[in-house]
Amino acid sequence: MTFVMAVCVAACVGVSVYLLLGRDLKGVAMGVFLLGHGANLSIMAMSGSPVLPHDKGLSPSNLKAAPVLGKHVPDPALAGMVDPLPQALVLTAIVIGFAVMGFLLTLLIITNRSTGTLVVDRLADEPVCTTRTDTRSEPFQPAGALS
Amino acid sequence: MAPPGLLLLAVVAPALTGLATLFLPRVAVTPRVLLAAAGPAFAFVLVLSHLGAYGVAGHGEPDTHGARIHHTAASPTAAAEGLDAHHPAPVRLASPPAGTDSIAWVPDLDLNLAFLADGLGGFFALLVAGIGVLIVLYARGYFGGATDQARADLYRFYPTLGFFASAMLGVVLADYTLLTLVFWELTSISSFLLIGWNRYDKPALKLAKQAFFTTGLGGMFLLGGIGLLGHHTGHWRWSELLHHAAELDWAAGTLRCAFLLMFVGAASKSAQWPLHFWLPGAMAAPTPVSAYLHSATMVKAGVFLVGRMLPLFVLPGEGVGLTIWPGLITWLGAVTMLYGGVTAVNQHDLKRIFAYTTVSQLGLLMTMYGLAGFGFVYGGKAYAAAIDLDITQIANHAFYKAPLFITAGAIGHYLSRSLPDLHGAFYKFPAICATMLLAGYALAAGPGTVSFQAKELFLYAVYHAADGHPWLWIILAMTVATAACNVAIFVRLLTTLLGLPGSMGKGKADDGHQDHHADADDHHHAHEPEPGLGGALIWLPAVPLVALQYVGGLAPGVWDRLFGGFERFGYYFDHGVPSLLYALTHPGVPLYASGLAIVLGVLLGLSGLLRGQHTDVHDVIYPAVESGTVGLGRGLFELLQNGSLRVYLTVVLLTLTACLGVAAWQDPGMVAPVAAEAARAFELPLGAMVGALVVVTALLLPVFSSRIVRVLILGSCGFTVVAMYVVYRAPDLALTQLMVEIIGVLLFVLVLRLLPEPPASERGRPVGRVWRAAVGAAVGLALGWITLVCAHAEPAALLGEWFSQYSYHGPALYDAAGEKVGYARGGGGKNVVNVILVDFRGFDTLGEISVLGLAALGVWSMLPGRRRELSRDTATEATLS
Repeated sequence: MTFVMAVCVAACVGVSVYLLLGRDLKGVAMGVFLLGHGANLSIMAMSGSPVLPHDKGLSPSNLKAAPVLGKHVPDPALAGMVDPLPQALVLTAIVIGFAVMGFLLTLLIITNRSTGTLVVDRLADEPVCTTRTDTRSEPFQPAGALS
Repeated sequence: MAPPGLLLLAVVAPALTGLATLFLPRVAVTPRVLLAAAGPAFAFVLVLSHLGAYGVAGHGEPDTHGARIHHTAASPTAAAEGLDAHHPAPVRLASPPAGTDSIAWVPDLDLNLAFLADGLGGFFALLVAGIGVLIVLYARGYFGGATDQARADLYRFYPTLGFFASAMLGVVLADYTLLTLVFWELTSISSFLLIGWNRYDKPALKLAKQAFFTTGLGGMFLLGGIGLLGHHTGHWRWSELLHHAAELDWAAGTLRCAFLLMFVGAASKSAQWPLHFWLPGAMAAPTPVSAYLHSATMVKAGVFLVGRMLPLFVLPGEGVGLTIWPGLITWLGAVTMLYGGVTAVNQHDLKRIFAYTTVSQLGLLMTMYGLAGFGFVYGGKAYAAAIDLDITQIANHAFYKAPLFITAGAIGHYLSRSLPDLHGAFYKFPAICATMLLAGYALAAGPGTVSFQAKELFLYAVYHAADGHPWLWIILAMTVATAACNVAIFVRLLTTLLGLPGSMGKGKADDGHQDHHADADDHHHAHEPEPGLGGALIWLPAVPLVALQYVGGLAPGVWDRLFGGFERFGYYFDHGVPSLLYALTHPGVPLYASGLAIVLGVLLGLSGLLRGQHTDVHDVIYPAVESGTVGLGRGLFELLQNGSLRVYLTVVLLTLTACLGVAAWQDPGMVAPVAAEAARAFELPLGAMVGALVVVTALLLPVFSSRIVRVLILGSCGFTVVAMYVVYRAPDLALTQLMVEIIGVLLFVLVLRLLPEPPASERGRPVGRVWRAAVGAAVGLALGWITLVCAHAEPAALLGEWFSQYSYHGPALYDAAGEKVGYARGGGGKNVVNVILVDFRGFDTLGEISVLGLAALGVWSMLPGRRRELSRDTATEATLS
């Protein structure tokens, strides 16, 4: 099962690098999200295979238990439970990834608004767009400068 | 062991008084001079007190002194008893010197405050402090004291000079090798400040930089050498090293490397060929600086260091030592000596003339220490080393070179520093010119000055060493040639200043570029002589030094009483400096060589040869190296920092991949898990199916170019990842990811509607795509591989078990009787992941929430002000499409 996970990580990261190296900032944003998936899957893989070791695992019923303690609280059958720590880490990562996603998308809008382009190469040469009538958008203002 | 207090105080005294002068009002010139002079004077007295109280380290107690006299008196008898009577050790050195107690500074680095006032260090300290006093007085005469400019100069000058004096005292007195290095670098820094004194003079700043980088680079070599030596021997104090010198393993390559590195440091500081170019360049400094740093003290630091290393690397009489010592140092010094001498004759600017003679003399001193590696047999008697009275040689140079610089500065102040312009200057400024000529006579090693005897000592050393090593005759010839050049310089000074025939008359040679160097000194233009003592201070400080030259020459007994106590080596002349009469009545090859040098020198001086303005070919070395380095740096910068983020990203990622490749190449543990895990790939068909979906959706993403399709594919990739979480038994993750994914896709669709579709021409060329795909594939495989190898080892298993155990309550507790009494404290929750998040890793979650809040703030601060704009844009786009 770890092998499958490794292949998924390879695919996600590979495609995200392909997108990150592109010229279009929208593609770059997608690459960032995909990279997040890759990283999360990689951390998840650290909990080892979810298949019970002594079983052939041909059906879902042979999987380890979710990390939720059941009725037999005092002495949980630890061997039959997946590792909870990677899950906790990934949960944090998902939430932060979501925050970053929102922020990045906002940045895309602002960038497009002030420079008129989302092509990486042209960002460097593009003069800051000053043709808009709105006075507040004349030079590009960093986040937080407007209130 | 002696306490270090007196010497520590002596080292810091000049810097402290120099700083104290800053608190005096600017107009108070006389108190300023007196206060500044008090620093070195105080240091002089303190060093003398230390030497008086504890003796010169290594020179023994009075009874040993008596034994020395006895030994000297008995030497004729010894010679009579056995012809091969051996001088086993320097007669003047009773034992290896012992340093003072140490004050802890950085004990872990073996860098503490301890001092070593042996013959060499003690003498150098007195020299630095004594000349320091004279230079403080001279600076008053040189800068003047009446004008605002002069006051500003003095205000700035004395603290810097005090800084330098302290650094130099530290170099010569430090016992810890690393302490020597610290002070060594401080002299480089203070020298840089002093050479670049005129902050608005670009050429002077360049020359200051040249001197700083050259000597600073030498300091790096010295650091390497000292580190290697200390690491190899385990000793970090000069005194300890000298004590254990006999135990060193001379054949060890480490020791040889350490010596070579330290020698490069010494050679760069002491301006040895081919690194000598910085010293003539450093003449851009005001003359007090040249007279102090670049004639008498700082440039001698390299000579000092070699003198310090001599008893360490060469054990006279024991027949052991580094075999590369004699050949390397002797020849490098000799080449420097001859090159400096010949170049000096061929100059017009007085300061450049004296700078090159300094280079020449430094070469001679190096050669002297190199010759100490040769033993010799003379008159049937074996001597351990061809070196006598090294302190006399060093003192000799300081006592004529500093006066020459002082008077050169004085005459340049009033008239000019270019020799052809000084025709008949003696009649205008008799006192200055007389002092200069008396010092010049010593430069020429004329009989009557101690310089004459010093040259004889050196010639004797070469002559004796050449007995067993015939190639040293070449060095004798080089010495004669150098001496002739020095005589020629004196002859030209004499004839020119007195206006005699054969002088460097006006108009004989055009004042070409060389006078540019003279112009670099802003005191070049003529000044009116200042009346009174203040004005006389511009030449008066030279007088006591010149007087010492003649005391040594005419009354060697007095000289020997003054400086004999510091001498470390006396083999052939173990009774002290020979008198003039003795030298003249014992003719031999050395005396003939001196005579030949004088005759040749007078002829050369009167002839028309070598009267041009030679440009030193080595002057191009530093600018070439500097521009080369800067050019290379700029090229590299433009290559690496080209401003393209994609290139940076590629470099970083490919480096990561390459590192992994190397690791896999080296470590079979990186390869073995692949096969083991691949065999278990299909243990769970459901998981394999979900994995295949993830891979396919991810790979489809770049295939489509329509943005809506891409967003949908991205979303479906996210949903398959959710399925993967389900397979991995992570319900919390699956739920969270599901919500995030839904909101994310909606957000994406919303935002993409506001963004323009790039024109087709911007979509990237096929070549670019192949290249990107290749990098992506490489990096993806690398990270997949890392995942596989890491997960195979199951690193988090133990931690996870602990968290599960303590999630609700801890393990059961038992009392002494084995009865279960309760449970250890736990998290009190049944969902282990939740407990980890809110309890065990609560602060982590707090940070996560903060990030979320910050991101929300960021979005909010960027967007709401533009809501109207946004809606207008949407409307515009809608009408357009």
